[in-house]
Amino acid sequence: MNLVLTRIDNRLIHGQVLESWVPHVQANCIVVANDVLAANPLKKLMMKASVPSRMRVEIATVADAVQLLLTSTLDSYRVLLLFGTPADALQAYRLGLNYQQLNLGNLHADAGKARFSCTVFLALKDLDDLKSLEEAGVSITARCIPADTERSWRQLIPGRREAD
Amino acid sequence: MALELFIGGMVALVCGLDRVAILQILISRPIVAAPLAGLLLGEPLIGLQIGVMVELLWLARLPVGASVPPDDTQVAIAATVLSIALGRQLDALTVELMLLCLLIALPIGKVGQYFEHRARNYNSILLIQTDRALQNGLFGQVQLLHLRGLLSFAASSLLTYLTIVLCGLLLIPPVWPRLQISLSYSAGLLQLALPLIGVAVILGTINVSRSITLFCASFGMALLLMWLVQS
Amino acid sequence: MSLGWRTRLHVWCRLLLLQASWNYQRMQGLGFLFALIPGLRKIYPEEKWRDVAMRHAGYFNTHPYLAPLVAGAVLKLEEERAVNGEDRSIDIDDFKEIVAAPYAAIGDALFWGGLRPLAAGIALLVAVKGIIWAPLIFLVLFNFLPFWFRIVFFEYGYRQGIGSVDFIQQHNLPDWAIRTKEAAVVILGGLCAFLVFSHLDDHQLPSWPGLLTLVPMILLGWGARRGMSTLLLIFITCTMIFVAGIFWADVAIFLKL
Repeated sequence: MNLVLTRIDNRLIHGQVLESWVPHVQANCIVVANDVLAANPLKKLMMKASVPSRMRVEIATVADAVQLLLTSTLDSYRVLLLFGTPADALQAYRLGLNYQQLNLGNLHADAGKARFSCTVFLALKDLDDLKSLEEAGVSITARCIPADTERSWRQLIPGRREAD
Repeated sequence: MALELFIGGMVALVCGLDRVAILQILISRPIVAAPLAGLLLGEPLIGLQIGVMVELLWLARLPVGASVPPDDTQVAIAATVLSIALGRQLDALTVELMLLCLLIALPIGKVGQYFEHRARNYNSILLIQTDRALQNGLFGQVQLLHLRGLLSFAASSLLTYLTIVLCGLLLIPPVWPRLQISLSYSAGLLQLALPLIGVAVILGTINVSRSITLFCASFGMALLLMWLVQS
Repeated sequence: MSLGWRTRLHVWCRLLLLQASWNYQRMQGLGFLFALIPGLRKIYPEEKWRDVAMRHAGYFNTHPYLAPLVAGAVLKLEEERAVNGEDRSIDIDDFKEIVAAPYAAIGDALFWGGLRPLAAGIALLVAVKGIIWAPLIFLVLFNFLPFWFRIVFFEYGYRQGIGSVDFIQQHNLPDWAIRTKEAAVVILGGLCAFLVFSHLDDHQLPSWPGLLTLVPMILLGWGARRGMSTLLLIFITCTMIFVAGIFWADVAIFLKL
């Protein structure tokens, strides 16, 4: 398993990932671990259609994606792993996928979520999930595209927690 | 001077809105915006030269989703206006002054990202009012609220332009006499270097697997051909 | 087709203002509703306007050149929904969500990543020859394809409704984007070669040492890949050239060149 980037982005595969992260980390395989997407054939097809054919794309449920990554199937690839939510990222970690770094991309605004930065909106549950991951030893940073400065997600927190 | 700044401001406004808010026919690209400003001020070639130097610098920064690329539009327009306005005042419509204006405008252009960021943030306020208007079924108001977003983008463009121009007006006249001679030694190379830096950044970040090989082959081939034709 | 051409033209024109209220919370959401309003007003009776508009007020973001394709399809779906009621195999909100991100990715790669540097490269080649029409060449070269997408696909989307996704699936646009990018890299190579050649020619120097320019360029490109900002690279390069220029001038005086 050669994970070059692990990212939470609720748009999953989109321009930022394909146009800036893929060349930056030189990934040649994208794994999307998302239960909703895996269950929706049309959505899956559209996602795959937006990726150039020289890249391998695997879309699976969180559990299946972890299975896939733990076997040696993708050993020869540089893998970019995408989660849709912090909960999925935590689930994958608990299933034995021990990634070291986690990048926060876009987490959209929604009811019950507080704003942590322009592109990161978190609910209380998301906060707890990220904290558990951090306690397990994952370093979590917020960075939309490689050209942005990398910030530890802790820096986003102060003074905002009461905003809920 | 005031007239020149005003005309530049109009170009900054129109081209600035094209960046995100309306149309997107890319009159906001430096290669279009700078010559346009130059043309209206009577020196299209200065605009064209600045456009060539700025165009490629941030071409690799795509306006993808929520990420805000540096405001090369305002950098190019402000640098053009400064070179022409100051050039007439200091009696120096030269490449050296143009380079000085551009090199000062480039870092100050950073504020553009900040202002645009604020504009996009400010527009969130519109949503609260939109939701209220929708609840009451007031479509006219919803449409007006959407158009009000244009104001924040317009403000962000104009503020960026003004910041660069004002800083330039303050900084350039005092340093110009001191740097005039030294710049003349390196002007040609600097003018060459800026587009090359832009291309290098594109090569480093573009999503093409063999970009360097492809580029080197094309570069070498073209140079060789020109050399053959010449000799 | 139940929506007249006037209404469709109205919606299409409004799509040019899609991003006027772009914001971090719903991105193009409000703009998309703004564009649809003339169509929705024709499709639904007045008492339903409010509910329909509320459905479209949420988060939405795609590439501005592909938004007409989505808008056309959504108008078609709304029309069918107004006639048949809600029992459809696909929900309109789901449709918007399903197509938005892939279309955005395709548009970003094709237009911003591929076509823009290609058109810029060609226009700059013209511009460095001192031809003042270069900006127009850029505008024409670049805008041809986007406007084709905006106009033709708006109608296509309106005719096909949900079937409009087929086009994207059948034509491998991401691979076309890569080809465009490769073409852009080749053009930029020619542009750089021409710039270097003209510079050397102006100083009556032989042109073969121009090949050495590749070394600093690869270094700069490597720096950019490592995440160094363009401004930093400009600062380093320009300072070096400036200092070297002064130094070289002194040496030249000393050697009485």
